[in-house]
This record gives sequence, structure tokens and C-alpha cells, in this order.
Amino acid sequence: MMKVLDHLEEWLISFLMGAATLIIFAAVLHRYASGVPIPGVQDWMLGLNFSWAQELCIIMFVWMAKFGAAYGVRTGIHVGVDVLINRLNERTRAKFIIFGLLAGAAFTAIVGTLGATFVWENGAHQAIFKLFGLGTGDLPEGPTTPDLEMPTWIVYSAVPLGSYLMCFRFLQVTWGFVRTGELPHHDQSKVEGIEDVADVAPPDLHPQAKDQK
Amino acid sequence: MNTFLIFALLVALMLTGMPISISLGLTVLSFLFFLTQVPIESVALKLFTGIEKFEIMAIPFFILAGNFLTHGGVAKRMILFATSMVGHFHGGLGLAGVLACALFAAVSGSSPATVVAIGAILLPAMVRAGFPKRFGAGVITTSGALGILIPPSIVMVMYSVSTNTSVGALFMAGIIPGIVLATMLGMTTWYRARSNNYPRQPKVSWAGRLKAFRDSFWGLALIVIVMGGIYSGLFTPTEAAAMSAVWAFIAAVFIYKDLSLKDVPRVLLASANMSAMLLYIITNAMLFSFLMTHENIPQAMADGMLGTGVGLIGFLLIANILLLAAGNFMEPSSIVLILAPILFPIAMKLGIDPVHFGILMVVNMEVGMCHPPVGLNLYVASGITKMGITELTVATWPWLLTMLVFLVLVTYYPPLSTWLPQQLGMITAVR
Repeated sequence: MMKVLDHLEEWLISFLMGAATLIIFAAVLHRYASGVPIPGVQDWMLGLNFSWAQELCIIMFVWMAKFGAAYGVRTGIHVGVDVLINRLNERTRAKFIIFGLLAGAAFTAIVGTLGATFVWENGAHQAIFKLFGLGTGDLPEGPTTPDLEMPTWIVYSAVPLGSYLMCFRFLQVTWGFVRTGELPHHDQSKVEGIEDVADVAPPDLHPQAKDQK
Repeated sequence: MNTFLIFALLVALMLTGMPISISLGLTVLSFLFFLTQVPIESVALKLFTGIEKFEIMAIPFFILAGNFLTHGGVAKRMILFATSMVGHFHGGLGLAGVLACALFAAVSGSSPATVVAIGAILLPAMVRAGFPKRFGAGVITTSGALGILIPPSIVMVMYSVSTNTSVGALFMAGIIPGIVLATMLGMTTWYRARSNNYPRQPKVSWAGRLKAFRDSFWGLALIVIVMGGIYSGLFTPTEAAAMSAVWAFIAAVFIYKDLSLKDVPRVLLASANMSAMLLYIITNAMLFSFLMTHENIPQAMADGMLGTGVGLIGFLLIANILLLAAGNFMEPSSIVLILAPILFPIAMKLGIDPVHFGILMVVNMEVGMCHPPVGLNLYVASGITKMGITELTVATWPWLLTMLVFLVLVTYYPPLSTWLPQQLGMITAVR
């Protein structure tokens, strides 16, 4: 169950990252390619409309940011000022760490709730009641985004969903710390794909020099 | 009073070691809740709209591009090219390190990434060639800082977001100071190497140099795409960032083939992780600057500062000291996001050019990255060389001193940063 959530989270943010890049790339290509007069192709190109690309890219990145922030709690990438607490003794330091983690959980829970209220009042209420055939009464329909004309409550639901997930991750990390005394640590100096330096064969730094002899 | 309360709360929360983004957010929430009538619901909306700007989206794209370049063999070819050009001087590989860092900085927007990309390959090679480990580590740690000065630069995007300065103009403004700093670091390297008689590489023929240039062409072309694209107006900075990400992907996977397709999801995930962290700080910093504006703090501070009769020179000195001090506790993105909104209005009132002030902040951040306790470059370099932080700090001092001299130059000689964007007509001349 946890594994599914973990993978879903990783898959979602990787996908958003890649897809947003491709969309902007396509939009830029389209802008210049549609100026090239190739019979037939140009008309087809001009028929395509990429004006929504920018908005979609922003939405995708905001979603990526919210869920990625939750993933970041799990990987320990959110850095703080630890200069002071690292000088304290082990027990006091542990207390500060737990305080920090719980503060994170509290903040994200509050923000999640604020976000949920906002989303609910801005169209989610009306839309969901309508979906299930409940009386919507005089509830107004929520606003939509300018280019995609997507209901904003769907777009903004990244805030409550992402924040609650982040809250959950903070609690998870706290629990892990209390039990094992270990924190996820993001090692800036370790880079994916580069093995321990000693194992890497050095590149030949002057291949041309040999040719001349 | 309120000003004091806000900052006391922020500093207290930060010192407990919780993530900077969380301490910013909590400060805003508690202040709004206890001391003002601002409807707290407005905070929720701010959390979304805070980063709803297309300019900010350049950050994830540049991070993605940087990751593809780091893993994809571009750095290796740049090092070979740099070595073929300057390897035969005193301290050859060290100079090549400075040049390679400058080249890599011109395609990547982050300092630690530059240290990793160049250092991981060059440092072992330098040790093997007979350089002391400390010399190599010192060169790479400080030259890597060029990553945020030579465009593209993530820190510059942060500054432009929090002060509404043009990203394009900032990028152009970074070019000349970047070249000057690279030259100064190179001179320090050369001088140290000559007095200690470090080894030199054999001289490479022009044919060899041409070959090395052709090999690294795909990486070097990115410089033209990003800077040329932004300057000519073909792309906005964000679009240029997206183009460079796609270009870097193609170069790494299909041309150099140092990265296979199945590594791509991992690179995407690592980039998403890093960008989400930065975007999260940005959102919360936006909340914080909303609070400050609401409480009129920047304005009050500006008036207070001007009231004390501190002139231009005095203010720049104070700003430098404040930024350098902050560099002891936080990493650059947070410093820029928190301090730029405070210092910027004062700088404007004193008639300082926004672009010049941006470059000044960036150079301060560079220095902060190279000294303990939080200098990220140091930690990255220590990870590569397996040297202790203290030893590494001692190793970097000649270059760090060079950087401080450069900082004074940038601070008190504005044309260094504003001349090029003025010539290109991207900013108007200062009064």
C-alpha cells in the first residue's frame, strides 16, 4: 500500500516534469515552424492552437511543486539552518528535530485545510453536488482558467492534496526518527550516475599530444 | 515593533533547524492569525498564485538541463576542450579547471552542479598528474561558484522574481563580471602554480584544439541557444530554458550516448525533487514578502535607513556585510528571496541600478557558497575529494580572497555589470 503511494508520487512528478518540457518545446517549435511556407503543412500548422501551452505548463509545474515538496520531505531535501542545533548534545538536538518536523506537519495541515476550504467554496461544492445529482440550490458555478477554461477548483486542488500528503510525509519521517533515530538525508555531494571517484577511469586529458610524436 | 516581532519569530523558528520554507510560512501564519485582521483564507490562494508566473518556470527547466549536462558527458568534453586550450601554461590543469567551470557555468544555472560536473572528473585527473589535492580542490570549489554568475543562473531568476527586474537584462549583465572573475581566478591559479612549480601539460596543436572543440560542440552550442535566443528575442528566458533542457537531453542520450534512455526517468525525478524544493521556498517567501508589504516594512526600513544619512557607499557596504553574514546560515536562494525585497527598495531610493544590485547580490552569494559553515560548494567538493571541511577551507583561501577583491570591484564600479545590457538596449542608462 505504502509502496503504491510512493511510486505514484514519484511517477507523477517525473511525468509532470517531462511533459511540461515537451509542451513548451512543441509550442516554441510550432511558433517558428508555422511561419515556414510549406503548402498544406502550413495551413495545418496554423490551424493548431498552442496559446494554452503556457498556462498548462504553469499548472503542471505548480502541481509538480506541491507533490514534489511532499516527496522532498521523504528524501530530506528541505534544508534548514542546522548550524546551531548541530552543536547541541544528542538528546536536545533530537528534541529540536522532532519539534521542527511536527511544526512542518502542523503548517502543512493548516495550509491544506485552508486550501480545501477555498477549493470547496470556489466551485468544488457545486460541481460535486451536481455530479451526484444532489440539489445545488443557489450555489454559483466556480470560475474557470482564462485559456484552458478548466474549473479553477480542479487546478487549485493541488494545494490541499499536496499539503495533506506533505503533512503525512512529515508525520511519517517523525515516526521513523522517533523509532530509529534516523533522518532521510539528501546528500548534495553524491550525484546520481557518478560513482565513487576512485572507481572512475580518468579521461585521457591529452589524446592529441600522443598523435604528434 | 511589528517589524521586530516578525523577524524575531522568523529567526527563532529558523534556528530550531526546521526547513526554511516552513519557518517562513509559520511566521506568516502566526502573525496574520494573532496580530492582524487579514482573512487567513487569503493565504491559501497565495500559496498557489505565489508561483503562478511563467518566469519562475525557468527554474525547473534549467535544473533539468543542468542534470542532463552533468550526467551526459558534456562536462567531460568541455574539460578536454579547456585542457587543449590552456593546459600548457603553468598550473595547466588548474587553469583548465577554471575555464571548464566558466564554460559549464554558461550552460548550467547552479554552482554546486558545476562543482560536481567539473570536479568529479578533473580532480582525480589533477591528483594523478601530480598536483596537490588541496590545490585542485581550491580551484574547483571557487571556480564552480561561477555557475550562478555566468548566465543562465537560477539565483538571478530568483532575484528577478522577487524584484520584478528583467531576467534577460540580468543574464546579459552577468557575462562581463563572469569573464572578469574567471580571469582573476585564473591569474591566481597561474601565480600559485608558477611559484610552486606545478606540472604543465604538453602543448596541443591547433588541429587538436579544433577536434576538441568539435567534440564539445553540442555542449557549447547551448551557450549560443540560450543567450542568443534570449537576446534576439526568439525565446523568452523560460522558453530558452525549456529548449536547453530538450537540447541537453538529445545531446546526452542520442549524440554522446553517455546516458541511456532508461536513466531518463531517474534524471527527471532528481530534477523534479530539486525544483519542487526551490519552488516551495519561493511560495513561502512570496507569502513572507506579502506580509512585509502589508506591514509596510520595506518602506519603513528604507525611510529609516535614509534618515540616518547613510549614503550610497555606506549602504552598499552594509548590504555586502549583511549578505555575507547571511551566507553563513542559509543557502543563496533563500537569502535572495528573503533579503532582496528588503534591500531592493532602499537601493532604488539611493538610485542604484536594479541590475547592478542584482549582480552584487549574486557575487555575495558566490562568496557564501565557498566558505563554511553552509558553503554548498565546499560540501560538494569535500564529497568528491574526501577532504575535511576545515582542510578544504584552508585550501580555498587564495581564491576566496580573489573573490572578495572582485566583490569590491563589482560593488563600487557599476559599469562592470551595467555596460553590456545598456549597450544592448536592455536597460536604460543610469541617471
